[in-house]
Amino acid sequence: MRKRSLMGFAAVAVLAVALSGCAAGDGASASDKTVSLKIWGWTAKTQQVVDTWNKTHPSVQVKYTDAGGGNDSAAKLRTATRAGNAPDIALVEYQTLPSLVTAGVASDITKYTKGIQDKFTEGTWAQTTFDGKVYGIPQDVGPMAFTYRQDLFQKYGFGAPKTWDEFASDARVIHEADPGAYIASMPPTEFGSWAGLATQAGATWWSVKDGKWTVGIADEASLKVADFFQKLSDDGVILTEPLLTPQYDKSLNDGKILSWPSAVWAPGVLASVTPGTAGKWAMAPLPAWKAGETTVPFQGGSALVVTKNSKHPQQAAEFAAWYNASKAGLEGMINKQALYPAAIAGQKLASSQKPPALMPQQTDFYKLAATISKTAKPITWGPDVDVASTTFTDRLSKAINNHTAWRDAFTATQKAVVADMKKNGFKVTNK
Amino acid sequence: MSLRNPGAADAAQPVTAIPYRAAPARASRTGRRRPSMAPYLFSAPAIILYVIFMLIPLAYAVWISFTAYRLEGGGILGTKVQVFVGLENYFSVFSNSELLVSFGRMAVYGVIAVPLTLGLALLFALLLDVPAVRAKTFSRTAIFVPYAVPGIVAALMWGFMYLPATSPFSYITQAIGLGPIPFLNNPGLYGSLANIAIWGGTGFNMIIIYTSLRGIPAELYESARLDGASELQIALQIKVPLVRAALTLTAIFALIGTLQLYAEPTTLQPLTTTITSTWAPLMTIYQQAFATDDLPGAAAGSTVLALGTVIVSAVVLWISNRRTAASAR
Repeated sequence: MRKRSLMGFAAVAVLAVALSGCAAGDGASASDKTVSLKIWGWTAKTQQVVDTWNKTHPSVQVKYTDAGGGNDSAAKLRTATRAGNAPDIALVEYQTLPSLVTAGVASDITKYTKGIQDKFTEGTWAQTTFDGKVYGIPQDVGPMAFTYRQDLFQKYGFGAPKTWDEFASDARVIHEADPGAYIASMPPTEFGSWAGLATQAGATWWSVKDGKWTVGIADEASLKVADFFQKLSDDGVILTEPLLTPQYDKSLNDGKILSWPSAVWAPGVLASVTPGTAGKWAMAPLPAWKAGETTVPFQGGSALVVTKNSKHPQQAAEFAAWYNASKAGLEGMINKQALYPAAIAGQKLASSQKPPALMPQQTDFYKLAATISKTAKPITWGPDVDVASTTFTDRLSKAINNHTAWRDAFTATQKAVVADMKKNGFKVTNK
Repeated sequence: MSLRNPGAADAAQPVTAIPYRAAPARASRTGRRRPSMAPYLFSAPAIILYVIFMLIPLAYAVWISFTAYRLEGGGILGTKVQVFVGLENYFSVFSNSELLVSFGRMAVYGVIAVPLTLGLALLFALLLDVPAVRAKTFSRTAIFVPYAVPGIVAALMWGFMYLPATSPFSYITQAIGLGPIPFLNNPGLYGSLANIAIWGGTGFNMIIIYTSLRGIPAELYESARLDGASELQIALQIKVPLVRAALTLTAIFALIGTLQLYAEPTTLQPLTTTITSTWAPLMTIYQQAFATDDLPGAAAGSTVLALGTVIVSAVVLWISNRRTAASAR
């Protein structure tokens, strides 16, 4: 008898253990007066800025979780939202924001953001506004810029290229002088960079008019960009290998890759992989397609959104506004996180900062960044940027490896994106 | 020791199928023939966990595969809602030329990796089983150790050895003026990926075959030797046929492993543009589920891949059983 009851107990225990996995969760709700919010992000030292808020706002306590970089975080947010347990606030990249709106992650916070819109330039604010509804508060921006090895460029007798044609002739000079050296690597994996270059050349990859989308990934300007860089690659004067691999890092350290046309956040990234070359780099405006043009697009950057799952959207929006637009929040973002803020006040604040570690000699770094940022224009991202970026990278990789026309990758991406948008039910003017 | 019938003497009630949840209650009842609850109790944990973590998610995945996210509501963005679309996702799976091509790439990889892994595993097992061989424990461990290295770590490590700037092999070929070895370009990529799997899998398969070899009675070898058989003849004509069951098992493992090809190409993907995001079927499925927000499409792809795996395994088992039956006749 004893044996049997023991076995019965064992069975019940097993059931209980197995089922408890499903029941866990909820519980531990804070006391009535304190609102507790959760935030997901990935940028370094967010915790320190959150701590500052928690100290000064005892009634709204925020808990930070590092949910992984932009793409991982977006996938988790979609899943968590469908399960009904997304955090209250989340950091999202501008390019994934539209897809997170359609996935029901980001909520309309227009009514909470009336007072802070004028703290941002129009172009910056447009990156989080769709159909007149605000879905996020911009945190940091990446106006495109050219980061280059000033010492080596000087050795070859030129400064930073002012136009892409100069870039091309510099590329030839550099490679001719040292067959192991290249001006830059322009790999198919850098979707955001290609979108930026095409936009700079005049393409509009996505646009909205009268409630309908128009996709322009295969715009004439995009195809010209494709032809331009294919010529350089075919002539063997630029690389197309992926960035920040052990291979790439070694070439950087050996002074065999001399520049990175990207955005103002590049020095921070490069400093971590090639600390030994600090002081030899400088930042300049991105080369222009036509001499004298100064407008560049933003590449990268992110915003804080309030989720639809949040039970305290007002407090969540207050926190996001504090983080991205108040003096205390901006100081934390600049001093602790070394981000380039989206808010105008933040960019002013940053201009008194010391230049990045990669280029301590360039004392006007942040002034230059602010100048570039002032006229930078946003890229309107579509609701299926993920489809575009995977198709684009795969197709351009194939074109490069099979020595076929790069412009076909742009055309194929255009087709895939239009087909996907139509399948999902978006109104698209393209045929 | 049998726990099947702990109290047969005072047992009474004949028992037909008893649901496991009712087990504790029924066990305390008395009757003429004592029903035995033990088997159900002992299998309950496994069954419960299997149902919760295997069958329910499986059924859920199949359900999802018949749905899709579609836009609802006005505005330029709207909100995606889940709707029933029947077999649409399955049509997409079979009309997705990228996916079909990726099955081809997987097949090429499998044709290299499976025979080499099994061949090497059998060879090492047979060598270790030869009486005259020394340092058996050391060799066995040395061959097995790569299996203990997690797949991602192994792929990363090999990735470093494949990149021209960090590869010791390319360092040598460059030093003698031949240039770097194109490990990560087609067609060398297939060999490079298969190499990681062979390096990691041979030891595991060898242990299975070796264990099976140790189970063969020594008398068989004695009589073979008395008949004048050489070690080679013993190996090929006695040992190999007798470990066929183990070989079948390892073959199925290797095939399933091939169908699940994912970790190696995914880990190497950031290092090269040769590996696209849809290089292997599972990569496409991952892409759909976690990058392009097409969970239903991913569920349909997974269902097809799982059914394919079952069919392939069944065919291998069937062939192997037929051959066993034929040789027994």
